[in-house]
Amino acid sequence: MEERCEPNSLSRRRFLTAALGGAAELGAAPLLAACGGSGVAAAAPSGPPRRGGTLRVGVTGGGASDTLDPHVPVANPDIARVLNLYEPLLLRDHDYKLQMLVAESLTSSPDARTWTAVLRDGVRFHDGRAVTPADVVATFKRITDPKDPKSGAASLTMLGQVVPTGERTVEFRLTEPNAGFDDLLGQYSLGIVPADFDVKRPIGTGPFRLKEFTAGLQSTFVRNDHYWRPGQPYLDELVLINFAEDDARINALLSSQVDAIDQVPVALVDVLRSDPRMRVLRSATGTWLPFTMRVDRPPFDDVRVRQALRLVVDRDEMINQVLSGQGRPGNDLYAPFDPAYDSQLPQRKQDIPAAKRLLAEAGHENLDIELVTAPIQAGAVEAAQVFQQQAKAAGVTVRIRKVDTTTFYGENYLSWDFAQDFWYTRNYLPQVANGSLPKSPYNETHWQDPQFTDLVTRASATVDTADRTALLHQAQRIEYERGGLIVWGFVDQVDAHQVYVAGLVPDRTGISLSGYQFREAWLGTAPATTGK
Amino acid sequence: MTRMIVKRLLVSLVVLWLVTLLVFVATLLLPGDPARAILGQQATPERIAALQHQLHLDEPVWQRYLSWLGGLFTGDLGTSTSTQGPVTTLLGDRIVASLVLLVLAAVIATPLGLALGTWSSMRRGRAADQTVSGISLVIAALPEFVIGVALIVLFATTVFKVLPSVTLTAPGEPVWRQPSQLVLPVATLVLVVTPYITRMMRATMNEVLDSGYVEMARLKGVRERTVLLRHALPHALGPVAQVVALQLAWLAGGVVVVEFLFRYPGIGQSLIDAVSKRDVAVVQAVTLIIAAVYIVVNLLADVVGILANPKLRTEASR
Repeated sequence: MEERCEPNSLSRRRFLTAALGGAAELGAAPLLAACGGSGVAAAAPSGPPRRGGTLRVGVTGGGASDTLDPHVPVANPDIARVLNLYEPLLLRDHDYKLQMLVAESLTSSPDARTWTAVLRDGVRFHDGRAVTPADVVATFKRITDPKDPKSGAASLTMLGQVVPTGERTVEFRLTEPNAGFDDLLGQYSLGIVPADFDVKRPIGTGPFRLKEFTAGLQSTFVRNDHYWRPGQPYLDELVLINFAEDDARINALLSSQVDAIDQVPVALVDVLRSDPRMRVLRSATGTWLPFTMRVDRPPFDDVRVRQALRLVVDRDEMINQVLSGQGRPGNDLYAPFDPAYDSQLPQRKQDIPAAKRLLAEAGHENLDIELVTAPIQAGAVEAAQVFQQQAKAAGVTVRIRKVDTTTFYGENYLSWDFAQDFWYTRNYLPQVANGSLPKSPYNETHWQDPQFTDLVTRASATVDTADRTALLHQAQRIEYERGGLIVWGFVDQVDAHQVYVAGLVPDRTGISLSGYQFREAWLGTAPATTGK
Repeated sequence: MTRMIVKRLLVSLVVLWLVTLLVFVATLLLPGDPARAILGQQATPERIAALQHQLHLDEPVWQRYLSWLGGLFTGDLGTSTSTQGPVTTLLGDRIVASLVLLVLAAVIATPLGLALGTWSSMRRGRAADQTVSGISLVIAALPEFVIGVALIVLFATTVFKVLPSVTLTAPGEPVWRQPSQLVLPVATLVLVVTPYITRMMRATMNEVLDSGYVEMARLKGVRERTVLLRHALPHALGPVAQVVALQLAWLAGGVVVVEFLFRYPGIGQSLIDAVSKRDVAVVQAVTLIIAAVYIVVNLLADVVGILANPKLRTEASR
């Protein structure tokens, strides 16, 4: 965070140029590239952040089951609320680096079994009380309550005890060594709350505190005067407005009823880009929409079939047709921002003759398969359709079975033979814990490879970075060679806002609008509004 | 006549009960249960089990239906699985908001349609009549979605930026506090409904104006104004009331689409959300409300039809 450019030295136009520059430039240092820009975009605000004002944000999704519970955010608006009301001990920042929040430091014992968090001095809850180790203990007790496990519980199975060991220190004692435990703690659904927390009185340490909340419609927040980061947040008030429908959200932005919206449909990006009142905020992310093949079911239990289907995909065409070019091709591996991501593995490309040969060897010359798809994320159904077309070239018949999202995530979720899924940016080991181990809660491909599991288990317990990277490279090679996922690309996040909104920057996490970090947002010249 | 109305009311109650049964079965047939629908991708077996227990989804189906039906008699619409609170609390403000939309649209569209129809019937075959007929035919052919989008493009986002395109009311604030937000949704509904009323009114008036008694009145030298108001209009109202009723009843359902488009905080949005979350109690409640509007409006139309038709009036009173 500290090395980030201050908004006043940051030019949005240069920023966007950098963001649009493509994977290579992004892979380097997009934020540094944006620093030192001299020309400031025409009407964009400049100078130091201005305090005051109300930011109205249109957020996709949500409904009557919307919640303020810090530990069970499901819908997109839940995530936006949770990120502004609460803070975990640490969290991924815009560059996808871990940044200390409620904790000042988090250190591991040499055997990676005990992790010690030192709480930051001066962090207070919305009601002015200081955060104590007891609060941290209570928070994790609430999350891992066996009777009512919260979202984060699934990835904290190795957490044995949380023990207060000093005035400002808490110890996390694990049942098995985990060198990536800091990564697991850096989740937005692990916000620290007071020991007497009640969701009817949603108190956290976030930059904003709640003023009003109506599920499915809108929530209003005001500045938290006890916030520990000096000067922030700049806004007096933040209003998050739910939008069930894409058109309504875009229309609200175009008619100036909101100042910013998340998730611009790819087809409408050019419309917004041509409007001088609007700015499009595009972020390269690690968000992926894989095809998932069950490795324990025919025909996908034959590794040659899996390889053939991977070779069928024209990844660039996928990016162009499905995402209108707003993405980067994938290499059947996830976690591209992990420092241990193996970028040396050859990029897999479409190779129809090789695919045909493999299918023939496997005895599946005229393969006929069913692909289950649902609008689980923008582009998912389109990806299925493009894949269907591309597979034809290799003589593979793909029958598309389109279901609604609730059916997709219904009883058959995680047992479809051939389907899709959707994941936000994660580092390698946390993603493996979520979906690639026999015991993982979301193992869509039923991936169960003893050699892989062994490598991952050893890597989890390895504190030395170089050793761990070597083990992880071996694990990635196994998934690259025989895994059940077709990772055809990574999706860019595209959001939009009015020119007068400043402080929103590209964010790699895959969470919209600068990771919903509205503490950094500020308003330039007073907006000319209608309908308000 | 009273007996007939009472009989109709009783039939209506049976229809309503059948509707609840149908809707209940239909929602059960949808794959996926509320717990899974709420949790979405976050659904781990442990969290599903915990939530199913919290939501009483582990109780038998018939028991859930009966307790819901029983609640109806005490004005309790049941518990929403999404909010885990009473459905009445969830829908209260929304029912009012939808009614505002419906009533405004009905109050504008009905007289407008009747007047336009009469006016164009009196100018039968002339340019004015043909223009009204042509325009109403085109509008009647357009789905409400298209009309709504066209209005938004025209008045909110692209051509003239004078009206808000979506409804943004602060929590607890009634929708009519900012009347400008009501303009486009109401206009959409009015545009959808008016053409039908206009066309029906025109056709009926044509028939009535061609009839013997109107000719007789004219021959007797009665003023054209009196001919129209005293002789022609009452005879046209009966048949037209049926069409108006159908249109107004349709409004209750059509409001779902319009609310979706304008992000209007009414029952339509709740219905869409509830279906996707498998929130049976809310789907039931909204369907019941829409069905009730249908029944009441049709009943009113019958009454108007009877009152406007002397023959039926005397038969009914027997």
